[in-house]
Amino acid sequence: MAGKVDHAQFRLIIPSQTRYLNLVTGLAKRASLVAGLDDATAAKVSIAVDEAVTNVILHAYHGEGEHSVELELRFTEQALEIHIWHSGQGIRGDQLVLPDPKEYIKHPRKGGLGLLLMSRFMDEVQFKADEVSGRNECCLIKKIS
Amino acid sequence: MADLSIAVRQVGEVAVLLPAGFINAHTVREFEEALEGLVQDGRYVILLNCKDLNYISSAGLGAIMGLIETVREHGGDILLSNLQDNVFAIFDTLGFTQLYRVFSDEEQAMAAASPERKD
Repeated sequence: MAGKVDHAQFRLIIPSQTRYLNLVTGLAKRASLVAGLDDATAAKVSIAVDEAVTNVILHAYHGEGEHSVELELRFTEQALEIHIWHSGQGIRGDQLVLPDPKEYIKHPRKGGLGLLLMSRFMDEVQFKADEVSGRNECCLIKKIS
Repeated sequence: MADLSIAVRQVGEVAVLLPAGFINAHTVREFEEALEGLVQDGRYVILLNCKDLNYISSAGLGAIMGLIETVREHGGDILLSNLQDNVFAIFDTLGFTQLYRVFSDEEQAMAAASPERKD
């Protein structure tokens, strides 16, 4: 007999390939609307998810396309939570330094903007490592006001 | 439908680039190549008309950022017009609206771009 289904959350597993980014960001946008967020906020959530999944594919998995990225969407009365799991390289503490936009403009360079967008567009961004399973997680939370 | 298509047209000295769709890590190389092609052709005054651009991630912003110095060193610039609200929010959140001139429509951008060339 199948286990009880929690109707407030579901999961999607995609290959670690950028061709699926559009699919995932489209889902994140629609999920945001279902959660009760407005169009502008939904667009921001989808960008944050794009950045998080891109980080997993390009940095955690170094662009290798044969791995998996697992997303879980949780709908609560207070927030939409998007959990992203992978088995690649975890993000290090020293990589979590957000660039100062003013300094960035003075000294333009590639990279470093994804984390900034995630932190600006979401209410919470958390990175966790599960030592037992060896998996890493990025958790994005958008509160529903 | 492709995630991204890019049209280019020349209006006087201004190269108008029209990306349509989504610029993300999957499509950014195509966008980057289009920009690099203009620069290699010596077309340093570039207007990005974003009327059909639904979405740009930091990968796309990096592509623009990677060429801005070269373009300006040659007396040109990269201008932006017709940004949809969510695309404007991304540029504005990162402070890029201070770095690039943003116009509500192509006509205004063209008027501002024309005196841009110094050589």
